[in-house]
Amino acid sequence: MLQQIMHEMFPTPNHDEEARQEFVNDFRMHLATKVCPGSVPAYFKRVMPAFVKEHGREPKDRHEIRRAMTRDPFYQMWSAMQRSSQEMVWDSVIDSVERQLPDLIAKAAVLNGKGSLTLDPELEIPKYHTAFDIHLQPGAYHTDVVQNDLAAGAVYDRGSFIYAMGGLGEHNDGMGRITRNFFRTRFPGRKLERVLDLGCTIGGSVCFWSQQEPETEFHAIDVGAPCLRYGHARARAIGAGIHFSQQNAEALNFPDASFDLVMSHIVLHETSRTALQNIFNECYRVLKPGGVMLHLDLQQRWGQSPLDAFLGEWEIYNNNEHFYGQLKEIDCGEVAVNAGFDKAKFGIHHVSTTWQDDQTPYGESSFQLPIYLAEK
Amino acid sequence: MATDAKKPIKLPRTAKGKKPVYFDPVTDKLLSMIMTLMGELSVVRDRLDTVERLAEKAKVFKIDDIENYEIPDEVNAVRMERRAAYIARVLKTVQDELDSLQQDDGADGAAKK
Repeated sequence: MLQQIMHEMFPTPNHDEEARQEFVNDFRMHLATKVCPGSVPAYFKRVMPAFVKEHGREPKDRHEIRRAMTRDPFYQMWSAMQRSSQEMVWDSVIDSVERQLPDLIAKAAVLNGKGSLTLDPELEIPKYHTAFDIHLQPGAYHTDVVQNDLAAGAVYDRGSFIYAMGGLGEHNDGMGRITRNFFRTRFPGRKLERVLDLGCTIGGSVCFWSQQEPETEFHAIDVGAPCLRYGHARARAIGAGIHFSQQNAEALNFPDASFDLVMSHIVLHETSRTALQNIFNECYRVLKPGGVMLHLDLQQRWGQSPLDAFLGEWEIYNNNEHFYGQLKEIDCGEVAVNAGFDKAKFGIHHVSTTWQDDQTPYGESSFQLPIYLAEK
Repeated sequence: MATDAKKPIKLPRTAKGKKPVYFDPVTDKLLSMIMTLMGELSVVRDRLDTVERLAEKAKVFKIDDIENYEIPDEVNAVRMERRAAYIARVLKTVQDELDSLQQDDGADGAAKK
């Protein structure tokens, strides 16, 4: 596995913890490259012919394919192993974080540097975070176990790196590199006084931005206090100056017209239909006239065929990404117009996920991700 | 929220949300156990590799010495005994059923199923 850059807040694994994390990474790489592709021949050689024999026609949509494929022994085995491997990612990281948590909390308390942290203990955590733990991280982004807890952030830092099989890069900031490259290609000379990152978790993406745009004031919000505590300490450890605050992107505390750019990285699909509209509304409200809204998210299309659609839905049903399925069918242009944006100034742009050399998220060959872009 | 500094910290280990069933609940658990054991065997192998390399570096022995090691009879006997006990321990659940089948009265519930 690619080595992740160490910093003072990093939950450094000991010998066996690292061996366990390396195993999970290698196992998942094997599943992705050697086992997962077998779903296609299993479908064409076994599942589809049996379906045709029974119904006199091919499956008409992903739902029919799912009902048939989840009874196929090969698909069952891959899917069960993929699910277990996802649970093992988190478990392999929690060991190191649990062992070092008091030390990490003590380090965070004395780290000096730029930026700030503002928490709101009264903030209500939205149901789309409390109903189930998104992508199976136990306790998700918001659960505090001890005082001044930052475990969820430390687990996310290492766990998301392993989840992506190193594809987010040694600084875990690949998504931020993608959005900044896109933004600066499209708006090369645009002056940015204040920028807001929504749903920042540990601030991996926004830290990259702040290092590239040292004159800009960066704010980053999330609902999860332990992620923000860790993100704040991590940003200081790597010398980035970010103003972190605990807020819900659906109801921001910032005044109207206060940002030149409001962005998010792989956040929208972890919300809800109502939240999506609220978030776009708030983006419009806090943007200055001419300001830019930019959301990078997962592929929205279902694919060319019912089989493609089925193959793209695994995370929805097996990795607690429940809203992702609905998001695929929502017209985000309409959501933007409802929020107040001019339809002519909204667009969906597809960006390559290769952010550097052959580095791509999720350890796969390069693919396209949508950016929802609007100017106020 | 825990505040006792002496109490070991226990972070949540299970994700909230309905877990899908892939084969059936028992088989799913067995598969998950096998994957965990795969992982732990890999961890032990990595640790042994570290030990071997450190031993060679410290000139305790060379890694090749392991390959060239000729097993004395008495060591082989100890290993055979340990392997037999190990196999029996792992296959105990099978042996239990066999034992009950071989009982004259056949009173064991599992055997009557």
